[in-house]
Amino acid sequence: MNRIVMRRAALAAACLAAASLGTAPRAAGPAIRYMADPGTSRLEFSGVQAGAQFKGVFHKFTAIIIFAPDALADARFDVEIDVNSLDSEDDDRDSTMRGADIFDVAHFPTAHYVTRSFTRTASGYTALGSLTLRGVTKEVPIDFQFAATGGGARLSGTAKLKRLDFGVGQGDWKSTKSVADAVDVAFALVLKPKPAP
Amino acid sequence: MPNQEIPARYGAVAQGFHWVIAALIVTQFVLANLADDLPAGARKLELLARHKSFGMTVLMLAILRLLWRLKNPPPALPSAMTPRERLVMRGTHIAFYVLLFAMPLTGWMMSSAKNYSVSWFGLFTWPNLIGKSHSAFKLLQATHEVLSDVLIAIAVLHILAALKHHFWDKDDVLRRMLPFAKSARRSS
Repeated sequence: MNRIVMRRAALAAACLAAASLGTAPRAAGPAIRYMADPGTSRLEFSGVQAGAQFKGVFHKFTAIIIFAPDALADARFDVEIDVNSLDSEDDDRDSTMRGADIFDVAHFPTAHYVTRSFTRTASGYTALGSLTLRGVTKEVPIDFQFAATGGGARLSGTAKLKRLDFGVGQGDWKSTKSVADAVDVAFALVLKPKPAP
Repeated sequence: MPNQEIPARYGAVAQGFHWVIAALIVTQFVLANLADDLPAGARKLELLARHKSFGMTVLMLAILRLLWRLKNPPPALPSAMTPRERLVMRGTHIAFYVLLFAMPLTGWMMSSAKNYSVSWFGLFTWPNLIGKSHSAFKLLQATHEVLSDVLIAIAVLHILAALKHHFWDKDDVLRRMLPFAKSARRSS
């Protein structure tokens, strides 16, 4: 007990000293360049099909994340998704989604997300960026949290988009009775530092 | 002397269950066949979604109907019926009750095995009964289809028997399930 109290007092004194010297007590630093670890990072989507929710993931994507909480001006996310790697745990549904009327992976094998600006929010951060999917580019904001960890950082967040904005669903699939327009995206990325080559 | 507790006709609730469920089952066959004829796509998904919603409705009604039936004895059978006829009738009715549960349950499990959760008219989603499994899906799909054939067969038997009672035996068996029919039949 005593030792903790002593330590706290020492810490408070150190903070006061630091403040009086004009240095910020927390670690500030320039934006760090990371890459999402492909094995442990997760990028998933969920939609409503015939009234019931379904989920899927993209197994393959590369995410370059340049970020530091105190350097939002320098932050930048650049994510490339291999649309063909989608997996909703049903082969029939997956092949339908890869088909010409939905993702049309033969013509649009990748989707791309690049950020433009970042703002701090009550619970984390919001990134404004543009998503290019099925050949259509639209603004999509994402809300996320960033936490530095021992060997890197964790980045988790969500985005909401409307599939029909991107033409994901042609012909009968334009009907929102079979598949709702709204799609949720969620991600949990394990970031490892990776300096620019 | 007829037993006081045994009614001459099926009551309004029993008749309601009978005819509503019968109409739903006919709808189910129509939807399933329409969906079967379509290629995989949005239209098929919509038809099957309706099929699943109606199927879950049948399951809920079947539970209520069984409880009602256990509390309310059906009207007595005509005394002219032979023991063998009574046995066939009993068997048919038991098979109907089993199928009222087995059809929706195999359908629900089939959807669960394919990882397509079942919604009830988009209002809420039923939990998956079993985990995703391709082999279980194939087995349940085959079972669902075989049971639907059995259901057609006993429905045909049921309808023919009702007509035979009405036109051949000239008894009350059909009319006691008809909402607007008079029960007492003139003796001929």
